[in-house]
Amino acid sequence: MKRDAFSGYHPIVNFVYFAAVIAFGMLFMHPVFQGIALASSVIYSLMLKGMRALKFNLLYMLPLLLIAALINPAFNHAGVTILFYLKNGNPITLESILYGIAAAVMLVTVIIWFSCYNAVMTSDKFIYLFGRILPALSLIFSMVLRFVPRYKNQIRKISHAQRSVGRDATQGSPLQRARNGIRIVSIMTTWALENAIETADSMKARGYGLPNRTSFSLYRFDSRDRLTLGLQAVLIAVILAGAALGENTIRFFPSIRMEPIAPFGGIVYAAYGALCLLPVGIQIMEDIKWRSIASRI
Amino acid sequence: MEIYRIENLTFSFPEQENSALSSIDLSIRSGEFVTICGKSGCGKSTLLRHLKPALTPHGRREGEILYRGKTIGEWDARTLASEIGYVLQSPDNQIVTDKVWHELAFGLESLGFDTPTIRLRVAEMASFFGIQTWFRRDVAELSGGQKQLLNLASVMAMHPAVLVLDEPTSQLDPIAAAEFLGTLSKINRELGTTIVLTEHRLEEVLPVSDRLIVLDQGSVIADDTPRAAGEKLQRLEHPMFRSMPSPMRIHAGVGGGTPAPLTVKEGRQWLDGVLAGTPIEKREVDHRSDKEDKRPVAIELKDVWFKFDKHAPDTIKDLSLKVREGQFFGIVGGNGTGKTTTLSLISGILKPYRGKIRVGGEDPSQARPGKLFRGRLGVLPQNPQALFVKKTVELDLLEMLAGEKLSAERKEERIREVVRFAELESLLQSHPYDLSGGEQQRAALAKVLLLEPTVLLLDEPTKGLDGFFKEKLGELLKRLNEEGKTIVMVSHDIEFCAKYAEECAMFFDGSVISSNQTAEFFAGNSFYTTSANRMARHLDPMAVTEEEVIRLCRTSP
Repeated sequence: MKRDAFSGYHPIVNFVYFAAVIAFGMLFMHPVFQGIALASSVIYSLMLKGMRALKFNLLYMLPLLLIAALINPAFNHAGVTILFYLKNGNPITLESILYGIAAAVMLVTVIIWFSCYNAVMTSDKFIYLFGRILPALSLIFSMVLRFVPRYKNQIRKISHAQRSVGRDATQGSPLQRARNGIRIVSIMTTWALENAIETADSMKARGYGLPNRTSFSLYRFDSRDRLTLGLQAVLIAVILAGAALGENTIRFFPSIRMEPIAPFGGIVYAAYGALCLLPVGIQIMEDIKWRSIASRI
Repeated sequence: MEIYRIENLTFSFPEQENSALSSIDLSIRSGEFVTICGKSGCGKSTLLRHLKPALTPHGRREGEILYRGKTIGEWDARTLASEIGYVLQSPDNQIVTDKVWHELAFGLESLGFDTPTIRLRVAEMASFFGIQTWFRRDVAELSGGQKQLLNLASVMAMHPAVLVLDEPTSQLDPIAAAEFLGTLSKINRELGTTIVLTEHRLEEVLPVSDRLIVLDQGSVIADDTPRAAGEKLQRLEHPMFRSMPSPMRIHAGVGGGTPAPLTVKEGRQWLDGVLAGTPIEKREVDHRSDKEDKRPVAIELKDVWFKFDKHAPDTIKDLSLKVREGQFFGIVGGNGTGKTTTLSLISGILKPYRGKIRVGGEDPSQARPGKLFRGRLGVLPQNPQALFVKKTVELDLLEMLAGEKLSAERKEERIREVVRFAELESLLQSHPYDLSGGEQQRAALAKVLLLEPTVLLLDEPTKGLDGFFKEKLGELLKRLNEEGKTIVMVSHDIEFCAKYAEECAMFFDGSVISSNQTAEFFAGNSFYTTSANRMARHLDPMAVTEEEVIRLCRTSP
């Protein structure tokens, strides 16, 4: 992955951004909003993951978009503008086609947003955010993330050891295999319980269980984070105001109806675009700054 | 200043007649580096755990332990947590969190420090231990040695006055172990932290220790400077003397007298003095490795290449290796050079992408496991715990024969045979996990032997074993080898290979660099060889084992 400037911001800034774009992406069916969201999510995913994202978007997201768009009119026959009738007598309506497209775009947009979310919100950021709410939970998360790769590794070792005495889950008759598999899990359980004792000792030895435990993290909330968070709050407020005035919604059935494009609508669109493209903008600004510094050296 | 004072401490575990510790009197001064040694099960760990109340086991206790002049139980938990640091044996089990930085901060979080303080202390420790380059990594990516250093650093971050370490290097390879002990000695020297340590590998730790305490069956039998304690063990003819460094044992074997040498350097100087002026017939090292050997080939690897992933670098590169039937073949070499991978290739668990592997003329990855692992190939994994499945050792052994079509009497007879061979009689009713490391190794060996293999593959069989159990295991392997079994052993333990293996090969960068008869092999190396050889190689390069150096001294007038 390329270095992403937005990922370097405080986790709360990252989290608010993704919570907002994903929620808005699911709520707003207005075509302008959908267009903005889809375009921004694709751009951001390309910026984050480059060729891999392009392949993912073209290979999986595009066909998904087409299929989802086609399925709706085949089953949904509501709407007043009838285009033609199917052989079995069911009508195909303009509204259901448009609704199908809108729903498909929404699905794809949200999936792409989530793929960006996964790249930016790493496990330690997530742990940190939840640690703020429940410190004990954050330690448990951290321990789980420690134990999962460890147990996977140990299971592999056990399976290899058992294979060399002819008792692995890949050897013998189906019944034998099942029995061997259960045996491996049983060895694993014994091993895990036995070794957890030493982990518990190590925790006790380092004072775990004393009152007033604190939670340390490497993140610092600096003025840059404060500024970005403020900007996000303003943009979100504008978008919500637009939503309250009905600028962002569309009615599909029985006939299509949405707010005509008005000056205030333009402001809301701009705010939405600015919010969705915030990480891209930050990246571009950093690149420009870097280039000017580099050229001076 | 006295930091610990143990007065007449006697301790026994619940429902046990014998006491684990009996009337121990000790005083440890602040800033001392104290090493405690003794056979497995002599009470070392139990004694160490009494120095840290949070880990002290339950049981019947008499006597008193004073920490800085006050009964240890009277100190508050917070002081004890921060002032007494405790490092355990397994590098993996002690790590609690998933990130290096979080692990460093763990103890400080427990003590309730605020973020700026933790930030400073974590940064200090990372710099002191040279951790800053892997500060943000996942702990799962670290090597065993790095993990143990991390455990030490995360304890040191709490600024302890005493460090108590229970066999901290037993799971590490020699290089990582030496680095770890070097760091400990640096902590002791530069920060003045008191160190109490138990250890099997005395060679590296004795030169930096101020005191050596030897325990036997729960009581102190020697407590003096390492040199004096060693001499006392020699006078007592105690079995623990076998664990002392080679120079000291050679010195004793020759007849003692002058102060015993502790390090190779001192040993060399002493040897020069003893043999000064006497002409020594210098045997030439035979570097030819392709000596006539008429025995049939048991394992053959030819031009083998292997990588774990399509895009990964090659783990095994152009490896060719021949092991003859009835040979005891030792493979030595650093970490990550592909030794264990080679064993997995021989046992057919991994497949090469180029080259040929034959075990008894058959490709192991094609052979049916029922055939390959019954009567042909026995594999002892690095961690014997991966083999145990039942509640007791006896049931575990019986389970091994579950699939065989044998009468109950015949099965029992076979089990009796291996139990006698591996000396497991007294352990049959114990849970396999309750055995000590050496006993587990023997039980696992017995299990594998029930399949009657002709070829045995061993991966680091001496890891974590003390001198006594090592010798026992070595004798067992020697007997098996004499019965005609082919043994291939991967090991970091140069001394063990030198003593028991017939031929040795050195692995480097995915391939065998040199391979020869054991004596010639080690004589040909100048650095990667036994300490006895390093001591005497300038006089006679062929003197590889302690016995040979002793003989060298005796034969000279």
